[in-house]
Amino acid sequence: MASITLQEVEKRFGETAALRPTDLEIRDHEFLVLVGPSGSGKTTLLRLIAGLETLTGGEIYFGDQRVTDVDVGDRDIAMVFQNYGLYPHMSVFGNMAFGLRRRRMDRAAITDKVQEAARLLRIEHLLERKPRQLSGGQRQRVALGRAIVRDPAVFLLDEPLSNLDAHLRVQMRAEILKVHRAVTATAVYVTHDQVEAMTMGDRIAVMSDGVIQQVGTPDDLYDHPVNRFVAGFIGTPSMGFVECAREPGEPDLLTGTGVRLRLPAERVAALPAKAERVSVGVRPERLTPTGRGDAESASCTIEGVVEVVEPLGSEQHVLVAVGEQTVTAKGPREEHFEIGEKVVFALDPGHLHIFDAESGEALT
Amino acid sequence: MTTVTDTDTAAPARTYRTRRRLPIARAVVIVVVALFAVWTLWPLYWMLSTSLKTSREATSLTPTVWPHSLDGSHYTGLFTGSLPFTNYFVNSIFTSLVSALVAVLISTLAGYSFSRGGYRLNGALSLAVLATQMLPLVVLIAPLYLLLLKAHLLNTYLGLVIGYTSFGIPFGAWMMKGFFDGVPREIEEAARVDGYSRFGILFRVVIPLSVPGLVTTGVFVFMNTWNNLLYPLTLINSDQKQTLPPGLLQSFSGTFKTDWGGMMAASIVTSLPLVIAFFLVQRSMVRGLTAGALAGT
Amino acid sequence: MTAPALAVLALVIGYPIVRAIILSFYHYPLLSPFRNFIGAGNYQRLANDPVFWQSLVNTGIFTGASVVLGLLVGLVLALALERLQGPWRFVRGVLLTPWAMPVIVVAFLFQFMFDEQGGITDALLQRTGIVHHAIPWLTSPNWAMVAVTLANVWQQAPFFLLIFTAALGGVPNEVIEAARIDRARGWSMVARIKLPYLRSAALVGALLMIIQNFNNFPLIWAMTEGGPGYSTSTLVIYVYRLAFTSFNVGYSSAIGVVWLVLLLFIAGWFIRVLRGQNS
Repeated sequence: MASITLQEVEKRFGETAALRPTDLEIRDHEFLVLVGPSGSGKTTLLRLIAGLETLTGGEIYFGDQRVTDVDVGDRDIAMVFQNYGLYPHMSVFGNMAFGLRRRRMDRAAITDKVQEAARLLRIEHLLERKPRQLSGGQRQRVALGRAIVRDPAVFLLDEPLSNLDAHLRVQMRAEILKVHRAVTATAVYVTHDQVEAMTMGDRIAVMSDGVIQQVGTPDDLYDHPVNRFVAGFIGTPSMGFVECAREPGEPDLLTGTGVRLRLPAERVAALPAKAERVSVGVRPERLTPTGRGDAESASCTIEGVVEVVEPLGSEQHVLVAVGEQTVTAKGPREEHFEIGEKVVFALDPGHLHIFDAESGEALT
Repeated sequence: MTTVTDTDTAAPARTYRTRRRLPIARAVVIVVVALFAVWTLWPLYWMLSTSLKTSREATSLTPTVWPHSLDGSHYTGLFTGSLPFTNYFVNSIFTSLVSALVAVLISTLAGYSFSRGGYRLNGALSLAVLATQMLPLVVLIAPLYLLLLKAHLLNTYLGLVIGYTSFGIPFGAWMMKGFFDGVPREIEEAARVDGYSRFGILFRVVIPLSVPGLVTTGVFVFMNTWNNLLYPLTLINSDQKQTLPPGLLQSFSGTFKTDWGGMMAASIVTSLPLVIAFFLVQRSMVRGLTAGALAGT
Repeated sequence: MTAPALAVLALVIGYPIVRAIILSFYHYPLLSPFRNFIGAGNYQRLANDPVFWQSLVNTGIFTGASVVLGLLVGLVLALALERLQGPWRFVRGVLLTPWAMPVIVVAFLFQFMFDEQGGITDALLQRTGIVHHAIPWLTSPNWAMVAVTLANVWQQAPFFLLIFTAALGGVPNEVIEAARIDRARGWSMVARIKLPYLRSAALVGALLMIIQNFNNFPLIWAMTEGGPGYSTSTLVIYVYRLAFTSFNVGYSSAIGVVWLVLLLFIAGWFIRVLRGQNS
């Protein structure tokens, strides 16, 4: 029905740029997640797509229709707000019917539509209630229901789960995806929570400082982050970084405090010759502790001191100080670590992420 | 043996002070409240009891704290006697109600546009409102008098209502702005997404959510006009069209100079609409008066 | 939608102000056609007008005393009544009544109570032996100012009670609880924890009441008409007399303009203080 195309879309508030010129193509029926820390411009981008903000530059197309100057109410969108934005003086039914009434749909059809959406969200028994009589999760369902009764072409969600407790949040993630499949609208979902992004998005756009850093599938972003920001933002616990320098005369050897990484030939070939200082990232699950003997033979090792051990039941996280930096290792809880103990990790060089120390760009 | 010494030699237990009652502090509070209660209530009692005394007792040179006998003739006298009290009362009700309605209508539109008009307007509005609040009525009255004189509206209800309304609008707009600021923007944005125009949003979403604000602003204007002595005193010169404050003032400083009982009965009847209206909106009144002031600065 | 709103405000605020400023440069008798431009003449006259200066001083005394006393009474009451619960809250409601009463009624009531012949105030003071001779509340220049100020405080203290009660309700519970854990109680709780939260309420309330008392026409006019002599004549009373008993609109407008400038300074200072504490 509607893909969304952004061309050079830009938003400034006076001197400050909330969103730098951005191109983005959102496919029809896709569930795209905009993720980033607060102030990264993700909400601004969503509000520009909605038409709640006017852009200071660029064009927006829904399908091949130019909607840059089309008012919010005429864009055929529906939106779920962070604090739900329910009308406090209307019943649940009234909230869901409000947008349909504006479209002069006849009464029976409105009732049908609302009933249908209520059934999908299992809130039929709440239709007569006022929003203030509902729990957070119920309000969330009503907000979703209000959005889907309209059969929108584009479905926009602005941090809809941020006011729910952890348990409900997991439950509502599934609920939203189910709703999305039922309505087949193109969905754009804003969140600051990368777990939400990874679990929900067909594709994810990672934003920072008003710029989209990378767009891709969850696996893409996890395995091939284009820069240090994306690498550190996606994945939990976060990727650990250690600063290294290339040994003069030994182009395949990266060293730093407690770090010794000998790279295979194909990775060395991918590194630019002039890159002398680099930042090496390691995913926590790739750090395997070894005995001293094994370490001698391993081509890549990281050595440090255990600072904190976080047991999680199924596994444990071990925070290790390596020189000035801290990296996290994730492993089975059977392995025992003492605080202050010296540990050595062996690494598979194929799982290293190497970034330019200055620019943070990936070097591979 | 050892078990006994065990407790004896243990480090002295941390002593917990039980919460001290503060009888003196409590007594001070009670005395203070009692004193202020007497200070506040005594005049009210005096007004009520005098209005219920006979004329002779009410004007006695040795006043009695407790009325000897209760007598309602001062009240019936208000509506049947030679004082055109009913007339003043109806005029006051009529002009105050109309002014409150008109002022609320205009203040609502103005307040809403200021509430959503961005920060630059805020400063201008609070300054303008402060200016009118400060600008003495008595200075406004001369230009207003000259204006109404030219428009041949002196001594008319319309002229009086124009005066009342023009003075009520700025502060009313300010109060309404404060109430509208309390309506979350998200709700309005939801209505925009639902396809409503600005006026549709205002009338179907924002106003229904601001009814307490509307009522409060209305009561505020009503109270101010009901209290207004200066405007009717200068703009109205026929007893037929006069409102309560100047009407009563002229009556009780002239013909009815020492009719204290009648004066107190008239005072009570004049107070009732205002006191009732005030207690209906007491809670939101504070918000209206101070929220605007705090947000606007 | 903003434009018409601005236009309405400009009309109702701007017109009278501009007109008043223009009038202040004219000799403008209300009822005669002989009007002429006299430049700063009205302002020169004002500088040498003892009644103007006395009215200015009276305005300061009346406003200052009313606001300070009203604020203190309201503050003490609000703190004392803070814990009222359930049906007892009606006590606070009753204590608020004076603020809701028409000013003209307050004037009548106190005029009656302060009457020299048979007024209850003097009667009670004499019966209890506090004074031996009746106090001439409304007929002596010194006592008249006391009488109108007392009447005014009686009416306005409840306003402060109202806003302080609201502000006390706004003190976050966590702060009170944190202070209790730190063993703040009684006086130190009030002075160190609660009072700072009441600052902006006090400032806003004081500003609103200063403005209102500067403009308080009905109370003084109904009680004393500014007398005896000019002893209770505030600026409003003087301006009203000039405009509507001497019909000298030009001169009265000049006083109004001076007065407006004065109040703008007071308000500007308040806004600065408020802003300073908000940031």
